[in-house]
Parts: sequence; C-alpha cells; structure tokens
Amino acid sequence: MKSIERTWKLNGTATTLRFPAGRRLLDLLREDLALTGAKEGCGEGECGACTVLIDNDPAVSCLIPAGQLPDGTTLLTIEGVEKKRAGRVLQKAFMETGAVQCGFCIPGMVLAAYALLQRNPKPSTAAIRTALAGNLCRCTGYVKIIAAVKLAAARLRKTSSTPG
Amino acid sequence: MSPPMNFDLLNIRFPKTLDEAVAFQADERTRGRLLAGGTDLMVQWAAGAPPPQRLISIWGLPELSAIRVSKEMVEIGAGVTHAFLRDCTDIRAHVPALVAAAASVGATQIQARGTLGGNAANASPAGDTAPALLVTDGMVMLASAQRFRTVPLTAFWTGYRQTAAQPDEIIAAFLLPKKGRSVERFRKIGTRKAQAISKIMAASRIRLHGGTIESAAIALGSVAATPIRLGKVEAFLAGKKLSRRLVEEAEALAQASVAPIADIRSSAEYRRWTAGRLVRDALENLQ
Repeated sequence: MKSIERTWKLNGTATTLRFPAGRRLLDLLREDLALTGAKEGCGEGECGACTVLIDNDPAVSCLIPAGQLPDGTTLLTIEGVEKKRAGRVLQKAFMETGAVQCGFCIPGMVLAAYALLQRNPKPSTAAIRTALAGNLCRCTGYVKIIAAVKLAAARLRKTSSTPG
Repeated sequence: MSPPMNFDLLNIRFPKTLDEAVAFQADERTRGRLLAGGTDLMVQWAAGAPPPQRLISIWGLPELSAIRVSKEMVEIGAGVTHAFLRDCTDIRAHVPALVAAAASVGATQIQARGTLGGNAANASPAGDTAPALLVTDGMVMLASAQRFRTVPLTAFWTGYRQTAAQPDEIIAAFLLPKKGRSVERFRKIGTRKAQAISKIMAASRIRLHGGTIESAAIALGSVAATPIRLGKVEAFLAGKKLSRRLVEEAEALAQASVAPIADIRSSAEYRRWTAGRLVRDALENLQ
C-alpha cells in the first residue's frame, strides 16, 4: 500500500502527515490524530456526524480519501472550532437551549452551523434548516437545535460584525 | 455481514493535470476508475461493492474547474461542484434549472464534494442534474490522450449506468446553450427535500411567444434506465397555443409515453402519474 504525504492547516496549525493513499479523512482524524469529535454514524454520507470544514465548506469526512486534499488545505474540526469565538458562542447556545441529548450528531451540527454563520450572520429559519439538512439527529426533533443556531447568531451579531 | 471495507487498501493515483490523467487512461496497464468527489463511489464501496484495482483521482484538476460564459453558451468544467453551481451568480440566469438541480443534490456536505462530471459519469437514472443538462440541448466534451471530442447530451446516456464515453476518455466539460427567452423549471420529488434519492424529477426549457409555445424541451429522471427527453410531448406542444385543454392533453401524453419501473423508492404507478403532473407544472409556470 502506497503512502503519501500532505501538509494542511489543521485547526490553525500547519500539520504534515504520512498515510496510506486511500485512507479516509475520518479514519485519519480519529485513529491517527485522536481527534474523535468527528463521529462515524452511517459511513455513507447520509448522517453528517463526521462533518468537518474543508476550506470553510462542510463535507463528510467518511467519503473523502484524505489524499484528495492537496497541500495547503484548511481543515477545521470540532476541536478547532471550540477555540474560535463563534464556536464557543454556538457551544453555549446549544447547551442553554437544551439542543443536545445523546450528543452524537452535535459536532457535525455545530460545524454546519458555524459554516452557515460565517457566510450568513442573519440566517432565516429556512436557511438554517437548509444548512443543517445534511445532519441527522434522532433525539431532539431539531426544534431546539434551530433555536440554538438562532440564539448564537443573535449574540454574534450583537458583539461583532464578523464571527470569528 | 461482510467485513467493513478497508479504505487504506485503495490504490489511488493523484495526477496533477488533465494531461497526466488522460495519459494514465490511455494505457490499459495504468488505467483506473476515475474518482472525483467520491460521493457516489465511496458510498458503493462502503456498502460492500468491491472497489476497482486502480483509481485515478481527478478531484481538483485545474483544467476541469473553470466556468466560462460567452455570448451564446455557458461552459462548465466537469470538476465543478454542485456547491459552486449553487452559489455561482454568473450562470443562474442562463441555466437556472441546472442551478436548481445542483442545489437539490444531497445536502450541503454532498454539494461541496459532488461534481457535475461525476453526476453525469455515474449515469444513474436518478442523477439530479441530468434532466437539467438534457433540456439545454448542449454537448459534453470528452478528453483523451489523442483528442477532445463532443457528444450531444441527448446521446450521452446510452443505458443503465452506461455512457458514450470510451474507456480512455474523461469528461472535461459541458457546453450548454443559454436559455435566452425560454423559461426553465426544475422539480424534484423525493421522500424529503435533502439527502433523499429522487423518486422522479423533471426539468424543462420552454419558449412561449404571444401565447404560443415556440419550442419545448422536457426531461425526466428516474422513469427509465436513463434520464430521458419527452420527445412526443415536445413535438405535440411545439407551435400550439397554450390553453387549459393543451395542458391536460400534454399531461395525459406524458403519462402514456413513460414506462417507469417500481423499486425501493417508488411505485411505477406513482411515477407515471407524477410524470404527467410535472409536465403540467412546467406548463402552468411559464410566466
């Protein structure tokens, strides 16, 4: 099995890794780097539990051979988002609104919501629902998750013009 | 249950240019299954289908990533993602059905990786972008080590999961005439809006002038082994005055001219009925 090397900006830090060419990004994060915030739910791109941000776009890490990410790619996982102000505001809003039950889907939810708020600081309910449509939750019924994103958006708008 | 797929064992090459990629494909000893965003193929392997011996990753090739808008045409690189199409304001006015179709694929995570070329190459009758491509009467450009050639999109999907592309060819781009004064529409019917494979979908490009239908292109997905144009309905509509009666006749003709199958996602009866309703929907929304 051929191994390859890539250098990415992972959660803000330049990181060089060597791995088998076909290794899934999800396995690389969880097994090699112990970044276990991304979860394997379905393993086939349906549930969004393994969502990470690749160059600011949410993507499912279970469907990506890590070698497809070229040198210089910016990768953000839930472990990196919680170091960002908008990430912490989202985290707090999820807790306060009771948006978390078992928690398995939440890292993906927070990342999808974070990406949305970066693009659209004042999203409508419809925009939030669309942005989170690729993240399945079997506990909450989504109502409180959507409320959490709205609350975080409002708090971020009050304190700064651009979430960061 | 079969043991889980070990993705570490995938044999993937990462050419950096289209030239390198077509060179791999030119030789049977280096040729591999092409892998773009992986949103169809990775799922099949995760579900237990054996992966091919060799993969050639064409994700991110610069030659496949461009969008060009000229006077009459929109040229879209095969590697352009659904997310890019969804957000690209330059092309929305010219191929709105395609933009709507791209925005309806999976959800944001899948849109970020899935590509227009990949959706076409996968050649599923349920591919969301295919009907929208078909109604443009455009061409697909195929690249090999020898040459570029174009194939009309209406001749591209030749059978269930089969295309006119030869084993040494890579889809390079789509050349799509702008809609001009025509009205386009795209509708997708699925179990839920996101992350659901379509039961049936329709795209249309219809030109109305002074109450008369000058031309109509209507395509359906998930009603046959390939995405199809409704040639009979189009011919019936051309040159006729738009009226309630005409819409009813077109709806009935559409229902009579498709022969869908029943499968896990829908019944044949539902698809046949809905095919007609989608034609009606296109004709009732021309203003």
